[in-house]
Amino acid sequence: MLKAACIIASKDIRLVMVRGGAWVQSLLLGLLLVFVFSLSLPAGETASPQTAATLFWLASAFCQVLAFAMLYALEEPTNARAGLMLAPIPVQAVWLGKAMAGMGLILASQAVFFPALVVFLGQHVSGGVWFFLAGLLLADAGMAGLGALVGAVAPGQAARESLLSVIVFPLLIPLLLAGIRLGEAAFGGPPAGLFRWLGIAAAFDAVFLGAAVLLFPFVFGEPQ
Amino acid sequence: MKSFACFCAVAVSAVLLVICQIAVITLTPVEAVMGPVQKIFYVHLPLAWWSLVSFGVTATAGLVYLKRRDAASDRLAHAAAETGLVLNTLALVTGSIWARRSWGVWWTWDPRLTTALVLWFLYAGYLVLRRVDMPAPRRSAACAVMGILAFIDVPLVFLSARLWRSIHPAVFASKGGGLEPEMLTGVLLSVGAFGVFWLLLLYWRTRIFTLSDELDRKKAQCTDNR
Amino acid sequence: MLTLKGVGKHFGARVILHGVSLSVPAGSIALLTGQNGAGKSTLLRLMAGLLTPDAGDIRRACPDNAIAYLGHATFLYNELTALENLSFWDRLNGGDGGNARLMETLDRVKLAPFADERAGTFSRGMAQRLNLARVLLRPPSLLLLDEPATGLDARSTAMLRQEIRAARDKGAAVIWITHAPADDASLADTIFSLDGGTLAFSGPPVQWRAKTGPASRGGASC
Repeated sequence: MLKAACIIASKDIRLVMVRGGAWVQSLLLGLLLVFVFSLSLPAGETASPQTAATLFWLASAFCQVLAFAMLYALEEPTNARAGLMLAPIPVQAVWLGKAMAGMGLILASQAVFFPALVVFLGQHVSGGVWFFLAGLLLADAGMAGLGALVGAVAPGQAARESLLSVIVFPLLIPLLLAGIRLGEAAFGGPPAGLFRWLGIAAAFDAVFLGAAVLLFPFVFGEPQ
Repeated sequence: MKSFACFCAVAVSAVLLVICQIAVITLTPVEAVMGPVQKIFYVHLPLAWWSLVSFGVTATAGLVYLKRRDAASDRLAHAAAETGLVLNTLALVTGSIWARRSWGVWWTWDPRLTTALVLWFLYAGYLVLRRVDMPAPRRSAACAVMGILAFIDVPLVFLSARLWRSIHPAVFASKGGGLEPEMLTGVLLSVGAFGVFWLLLLYWRTRIFTLSDELDRKKAQCTDNR
Repeated sequence: MLTLKGVGKHFGARVILHGVSLSVPAGSIALLTGQNGAGKSTLLRLMAGLLTPDAGDIRRACPDNAIAYLGHATFLYNELTALENLSFWDRLNGGDGGNARLMETLDRVKLAPFADERAGTFSRGMAQRLNLARVLLRPPSLLLLDEPATGLDARSTAMLRQEIRAARDKGAAVIWITHAPADDASLADTIFSLDGGTLAFSGPPVQWRAKTGPASRGGASC
């Protein structure tokens, strides 16, 4: 299953890189979010650590929605989805492959969002970095796993991105709260309860990644 | 006979609701700190409780649908989500009124209110998914998955919101529930009366979906026979 | 190789297939024909395992990786080259993705000179030939074809028929939805005809021609 997932993920990353435009959209959206918010700050003022962390995770969440809409749209022009269903691989390999590709895209986007926050919102990384990185990986894994599951729900829908946002954002609340608290600590906010927030993120991943493995066959197949 | 049974059910529910409201107004004591406005609690709590139960029914019916692919489970899941969302909305409104009178603000980010609001968004999203134009079996499977994901998210939302902030009255924090016996009686009466009301709503909404599907089937048959 | 017993399928209130029973042995070609909306594509997707029947039973005497499906959709990624497309599907189906074998397969479908061209630049005929190459990477035991010759020129159609014959000669069971049953009946061992979701005819081509009369000689559409 892992081998098949890697084959699918590498194919998806390659297609995204060749197409280029779709991933750039998600990058630009996140950067615009940071930039437009920074305009609201009075001259010379910096945003609070919590605000900066919130913007980081909001931008990441929007990126996740666009990324998975794009990853599933790759299969549509020639109905390659049916080809994936016919391949002698567990259907969960498709979920894992999409999740791996999506996580790569989210991480790459966050590598751009983070310096943008430092520059535009005047943030400094001053503590709890390891907690933040651990939280980042846990949260991104959760977002990727959930995105790969829900992204399969609405292929070929004209309003796919808005549908995904409406479905996914409320589900992500626990992860986003954990990410924000851990990010806030990294930007110099209060370092309280960081282990518990990591625990929330880990619990989210355990529950939702497990659920995704069980539920993915029901959403990926053609109408049964 | 069926109409008479329906009439009786409505009458029983109405009578129970009236009795419970009379009991709340006349029998339950006025809370010392919050005053008479605290009695919104006897409406707010049952609404919140039965909306959560309704969402549980959605998730369970969704699981059954994924296993059996039967339309009846799908209709029940849909009806329970709608009913739950209506009750949840009312719980949020009553909670908001209570918060305004008790704490001077329309909204506080306390864990129970936050969880209720997130649930509202989750099941509003579920109902949006119900209206997406896709083949019916795929839509039913997608909604079943969504209903399950939404419900398993509830404890995580609650825990994370509690960790974030909390000022909701801890009603059942102490032994004995933190309530006077008369208040407890009022709560139990209200939960019971609203439970009957919820069951009726659920039954009728499911029945409407069943009749609608039957109508669609007959229309399809007529089209095929032409 | 493939046996269906009492297979039924419905989408919501609409019954697509009802009580379909048939059997296709290894090393034979079966044509599947019928009017538009008769349920042919749905039946083929059931046979491939893309759909689950609501009634009845489908038995395939071959492993999953020996089933090949060739339809209107090509399963190709337009931004990848012909070679990259084949490499992806080969590796996903358990192959090693080795260039030598892939080039040999491309040569078989006369696409070797276009190995490094993006699939999105191909004509319909070339794309379908690449699709055929994808199927030929592993000799299938069960080959399912849904009007694969649609939009193809004469040369590509001839190549397709040749490969279908070759698959049959290697022991595959071939089930083929065709829009020209009169033309393709000469290749077939059995013809199945669907009407209103049920099996209206099952037998050798000569019986089918006798039953359908002049319609069987006019390239009747499916």
